[in-house]
Amino acid sequence: MVQEEAKAWFSRNVEGCLDGLYGVANRLTRNGADAEDLVAEAVAKAWASLATLQDRSRFKPWLFRILNNCYISDYRKKAVRPIHYGYDELGSDDEEDLTELLIRLPDDFLGWWGSPEHELANRLMAADIVTAIERLPEAFRVTVVLVNVEGLSYDEAAEVLGVPPGTVRSRMKRGRTLLQKALWEHAREAGLIGDEHREAGTT
Amino acid sequence: MNGGSDNQNIDDIGCIEAINDLYAYLDGELTDPETVAKFEHHLEHCAACYSRIELETALGRLIRDSAEENAPVRLQQRLRKLIDDL
Repeated sequence: MVQEEAKAWFSRNVEGCLDGLYGVANRLTRNGADAEDLVAEAVAKAWASLATLQDRSRFKPWLFRILNNCYISDYRKKAVRPIHYGYDELGSDDEEDLTELLIRLPDDFLGWWGSPEHELANRLMAADIVTAIERLPEAFRVTVVLVNVEGLSYDEAAEVLGVPPGTVRSRMKRGRTLLQKALWEHAREAGLIGDEHREAGTT
Repeated sequence: MNGGSDNQNIDDIGCIEAINDLYAYLDGELTDPETVAKFEHHLEHCAACYSRIELETALGRLIRDSAEENAPVRLQQRLRKLIDDL
């Protein structure tokens, strides 16, 4: 491929995943200006190492991986430290522990979420979800965004993060469980759910 | 779901096993046909797990809709120039 053709191909593919790149960068840095710089740095590095991309159909996970590596080497130290939710019980990678956690989500949460009379709560929750995602510990945050928002497969997310697919699977479980617990607690604190549910979900 | 609610040949799995596979199913990562059939068979017979997957589906959609971003126009312009200058 001659230089101009390669550049046109590269430009087209960057443009095709730019919203996703910016979204992941924003979730990583939590700062719009840093996110833009991070994307620009990743794109420049990607062009410089385009020859190392053997399977061009894997462009997206390859570029996301470069973005993640740029973040780790250049941006992580200065990233704003979030207030993490204090779920110490989520420290284990054990699959049985994770299943336990999923089972322990309160039934009230299930009923409340689906009730038509809580449409307003659902609208408010949409804005709070971004905050809840941003407060996730980094490993879960980026995994949830890559899979749930950007639609990467577990294999592709594993490639981006340099971890085994099984780790992506367990992070998806735990990340989502953390989000649900955070949203439930937020809803209780903000008075979005009735008194009859106030004591639920505290186990 | 692929139907088959009266299929007596499918072993029922318990709620714990179903919950364990729930996210992989939602993410399209539960690929073994037999495992998928068992999971869906369980959903058809268990109101609690069916409600759970409805919740998870709605939450997944909400997360996607809430967290999707559009890159700023100035970033698009910056990248075009950056690529032009490479």
